[in-house]
Amino acid sequence: MARYFRLLLVRLRVSVQLGSQYRSDFLVGGVMALFWLSWNLVPMWVVWQKRPMIAGWSFPEALLVAAWFTLMRGVLEGAVQPSLVAVVEHIRQGTLDFVLLKPADAQFLVSTAKFESWRAADAIGALVIGGYALHRVAHPPAASAIAVALLLTLAGAAVLYAVAIVVVAAAFWVVRLDNLIYLFNSIFDAARWPLTVFRGFWRILFTFIIPLGLITTYPAMALLNKLDWPTALRALGGAMLFVALARVAWTRALKHYTSASS
Amino acid sequence: MNLISVEHLTKEYRVHERPPGLMASLHSVFHRKYKIARAVDDLSFSIRSGERVGFLGPNGAGKTTTLKVLSGLLHPTAGTVRVSGFDPRRREHDFLQRITLVMGQKQQLLWDLPPADTFTMNRAIYDIPKQEFDETLSELSSLLELGKLVERPTRQLSLGERMKCELVAALLHRPKVLFLDEPTIGLDVSMQAELRTFLKKYNERFEATILLTSHYMDDVTALCPRVIVIDRGHLTYDGDLTQLVHKVRPHKRIVLRMHDGKQETHDVAPSDLKATITRLLSGDPISDLTVEDPPLEEVMRDLFAERGDRVTNS
Repeated sequence: MARYFRLLLVRLRVSVQLGSQYRSDFLVGGVMALFWLSWNLVPMWVVWQKRPMIAGWSFPEALLVAAWFTLMRGVLEGAVQPSLVAVVEHIRQGTLDFVLLKPADAQFLVSTAKFESWRAADAIGALVIGGYALHRVAHPPAASAIAVALLLTLAGAAVLYAVAIVVVAAAFWVVRLDNLIYLFNSIFDAARWPLTVFRGFWRILFTFIIPLGLITTYPAMALLNKLDWPTALRALGGAMLFVALARVAWTRALKHYTSASS
Repeated sequence: MNLISVEHLTKEYRVHERPPGLMASLHSVFHRKYKIARAVDDLSFSIRSGERVGFLGPNGAGKTTTLKVLSGLLHPTAGTVRVSGFDPRRREHDFLQRITLVMGQKQQLLWDLPPADTFTMNRAIYDIPKQEFDETLSELSSLLELGKLVERPTRQLSLGERMKCELVAALLHRPKVLFLDEPTIGLDVSMQAELRTFLKKYNERFEATILLTSHYMDDVTALCPRVIVIDRGHLTYDGDLTQLVHKVRPHKRIVLRMHDGKQETHDVAPSDLKATITRLLSGDPISDLTVEDPPLEEVMRDLFAERGDRVTNS
């Protein structure tokens, strides 16, 4: 365990070094992150201008969901996707062999290959939006609510990671993945809205199949004291199930690779 | 004791047959035809600890496939493989700590960062203690005369410099078994020689076992007392390099250099050697005369020519 933690630190350091190799990229990246952050809030602001409450959410409450959306998008595009893209490249060029030759868990190596460090701007943005939203909501959350929200945040990140691993597993069969990544990013965009905004098919899709609700709405609900315990526990269980499924998909993909590639 | 043992190894791939032409291509989207390609066919050999063995054969003979099976990247279709007491297929931690695979055509160095950063990363992956890491790195660096090279971004290094650093990255954990797939490909003659000297030193210093494929016969001649020749997945020769040469090309080669710079070569049977040299010496005045074995390239060409193959090991 300690070894993997050390390894993660080395990987992070290398990513920061890589990021700062191209200083202008680093700066432009940060500025772009701030731009997208504000741009993402515009539609919400427009909609809540018309009505004070939508599907049980006031504007400041919905802003809290947007804060989690910003944070999770930073996690997705800063910590999850860069590695994913790198693996696909590895598979295409055959350099995945070097990963498999290392005496460490291949899934770990593959998913820590690259981080976009300037995406930390998203986390700062999320803190600012979240802080403002909480200030407007007026009643400060209890310590237990904060703890549950943090736990659900970890669970949400784990689900994002699991989905990404399943996508990588698919890359062992389908080599062109750009479309799949684009599709997932477009779907993920829906996570900026509170889950209750959606009805019928979409609600089911975003609750169980691609659990965007778990990733952004549930932590915000926990903080607002709106989430009941059974739902929180089910969400945590669901996240673990996702991670387990991802592991199975990864193991199968690796087996396919080692028996099929040349 | 055998460090590597391969028994009746067979490796098959399922390949999609892609017919030429647009209509045929569209048709193949719905009705795929697969055929089984056998890359390695009932191959058996064993290698003792500390040996340096050359693995020869034309392109597509199954050399790389065998190396990948030995290093656990591919699973055998049939047969058994043991390396250092392990089943490579299981990719156990202790097994991976003991081996390395260097592929001349692929690189593990981080392109935008200096090689030193890849070394640090491998140190973390292999969990090498700091002191041991420093010792190994300085020893490998001095053997390869790396100097300040490791502090420059990889993308600014020449091919030869990069290959040296690739070797260091692959050897930092002091592996006992080295699988080298074309480690000198694309390098100039002096760099090739440098790497050969290094590999020999590493073999002696760490008592490592080396299995090497190369397109450059000089690599094999200089490094490997023993060769294993495979062709279309079959074993065609396993044994002493000099004996292989004598078996395929029993003739000795006499090279004569005249005063005017001209050169003549005569291939003669060993029994006729003395008579031929006497005859040649009694002719025109010469400046030099050498007797040598025919170059390994020609031996290989002869060995595979009977099969009607294009021999690429030259």
